[in-house]
Amino acid sequence: MNTFLVSARYEMLNTRRARTAHLLLIVFIGMVVASSVIGWVTNQTVTGVYEKVLADGLTTAPNPFTGVTPLYYARNAVIYVLLIGSLMAIVLGVQATLRDRKAATTDLVLSRPVGTAARLLGQLAGLGVVLAAVIGISFTVSWIIISVINGAPLGWAETGRVIAFCLLSWVLLTTFSLLGMLTGLRSKQETTALLVPFAIWSAVAFVLPQIGTAARPVSLLNPVPAVSSTGGYFDFVSMITGPLSVTEQFKRASSIILQDTTVTGDATSSTLILLAFLTVMTVIVVATPRNRMRSGVNE
Amino acid sequence: MSSTWVIAQKELLDLRRDRLFAVLIGFLAVATLISVAVAAASFRTQLDAYNLYVQQLTASGGTSTPAAPQLFPLQLLRGGVEYLEILGALFAIVLGYGTVAKEKYRGTLQLLLSRPLARFAIPGGKVLGLAIVWFVVVALMTVATTVAILVIGNAPLQGIDMVRILIAAVVAWLYLMFWSSLAIGITALSHRLSTGLIVAIVVWLAFVLIIPQIGDTMDPDNQVPGGLFATLQIQKPDELKVLANFAAFDGIRNGLEVSSITKHFERLSFAFLGIKDKFNQQPLGFVWADMWGYAVTLAAATLASVIFAVGVTTRRNVQRKIS
Repeated sequence: MNTFLVSARYEMLNTRRARTAHLLLIVFIGMVVASSVIGWVTNQTVTGVYEKVLADGLTTAPNPFTGVTPLYYARNAVIYVLLIGSLMAIVLGVQATLRDRKAATTDLVLSRPVGTAARLLGQLAGLGVVLAAVIGISFTVSWIIISVINGAPLGWAETGRVIAFCLLSWVLLTTFSLLGMLTGLRSKQETTALLVPFAIWSAVAFVLPQIGTAARPVSLLNPVPAVSSTGGYFDFVSMITGPLSVTEQFKRASSIILQDTTVTGDATSSTLILLAFLTVMTVIVVATPRNRMRSGVNE
Repeated sequence: MSSTWVIAQKELLDLRRDRLFAVLIGFLAVATLISVAVAAASFRTQLDAYNLYVQQLTASGGTSTPAAPQLFPLQLLRGGVEYLEILGALFAIVLGYGTVAKEKYRGTLQLLLSRPLARFAIPGGKVLGLAIVWFVVVALMTVATTVAILVIGNAPLQGIDMVRILIAAVVAWLYLMFWSSLAIGITALSHRLSTGLIVAIVVWLAFVLIIPQIGDTMDPDNQVPGGLFATLQIQKPDELKVLANFAAFDGIRNGLEVSSITKHFERLSFAFLGIKDKFNQQPLGFVWADMWGYAVTLAAATLASVIFAVGVTTRRNVQRKIS
């Protein structure tokens, strides 16, 4: 078996044995599944609120929720992917590369005729399979719950959209796991290795979107997009920060895929930006020199 | 000099030399200052749009001009408070974890434990050290944001505004102490150091991000951009009357939110700073009468967290740790 496949298998085995990682995986799967129920309960209540408002003669406006698709119930999952999923992917990525440096197994592995690129790509492939399995389990259960709520199985078109959303989630999570792998390879201390990607994640998820749109940090955790400030400064800055706000691009593309009526446009540009980040991160991680992989950890 | 104070001094010295700590606090300060600048820019954009509208209205012969947007300086701090509730809590966890982990990594734990120290000297000293550090950090950030409001926001502050900012600073200090102490306790209890950090981060994820997020997305008014009731053109009194019919749902939603310490911090800060419309420009007595329950729970939670940290950081627990 070649280096790539052995490394991938090794990574999957290690993740299966890491109990701490299981905690995050369980939280993620649980929340994605719960998001459908939360979406349904909220929708029922809001429809009730609208009917009460209409009965009291307080409005003549049409019901803003008329004709929402069954995928509406999955929209909270978008937030859980970028919130819990991203942090889970970072932890998995950090552990993948730091584990070998701490135990000095990299020295042993690299004493064999092993290419660093094959080794790192193998580890990435292992993590990719783990992430794909977690996403697959979460959204299969979510699909069943939405079908139960809907009273009928989701159609082919809607199922296709759920699959597209799964693929997009995988791209985002793999990018963050690469970020974790990178800091796991580069940091001298375990705390720094975990903290630096968390700080980068928070800057990307909260600070960048705020600079370009004046959106409040907490409002970015709501699947409904915040009303952006426009004009002058904001038009210019959002042109620069917009493409760098990976999490906002993910939210936008996912909302379009899941047919959220509050987001309009085409998901292509956002998807391409996400794929570009995945490619760049892969190249950066794979280019890690051999001596860096073998460097020890100070803690 | 008591051994607790010696340990606290050592913590202060360690943190003064810690580059990671400096980077984290620098990051938090920059994010907070950016939020003030962005909020000020957003207000100026609104004002420009208003002036343009009035000009066009006057040119077209219109007479009834709408009310101009009004700047309430303390509302510029909203983003800063939110950064503190998310990032501040995360960094507080890292600091709390670091105080226990570094002794093990550096091999100084055995040396410390070889000295004739009182039962609570080590955890007490560490908590005291962190309390002083957070006091200094909060004080510096308070000064920085106040200057930012005056200079970047170009907004005047009254004496009462300073009192409100000071109250918010005390609330922030309690909140950060809660998370640092909790992280000390969790790290002391965990068999592996990295497990301690990851478990603390999972707790942070649940109580700072997930629970408030669920509450927020269950809010009927948060279902469409700009707000459901604004979209349906419904006035506030009518909104409250309608929502009274959904008291059970709102009770569950609010119950979820208040189960998170973060919401107590947020509601207290927003109330005293007048960020929440209901409390804007209201006397402090009015705010206190409505919010004292949150102040009590935040203080009680912080005290409980400190007791937890001091209680579980025992000689036996810290010695069994695996790197």
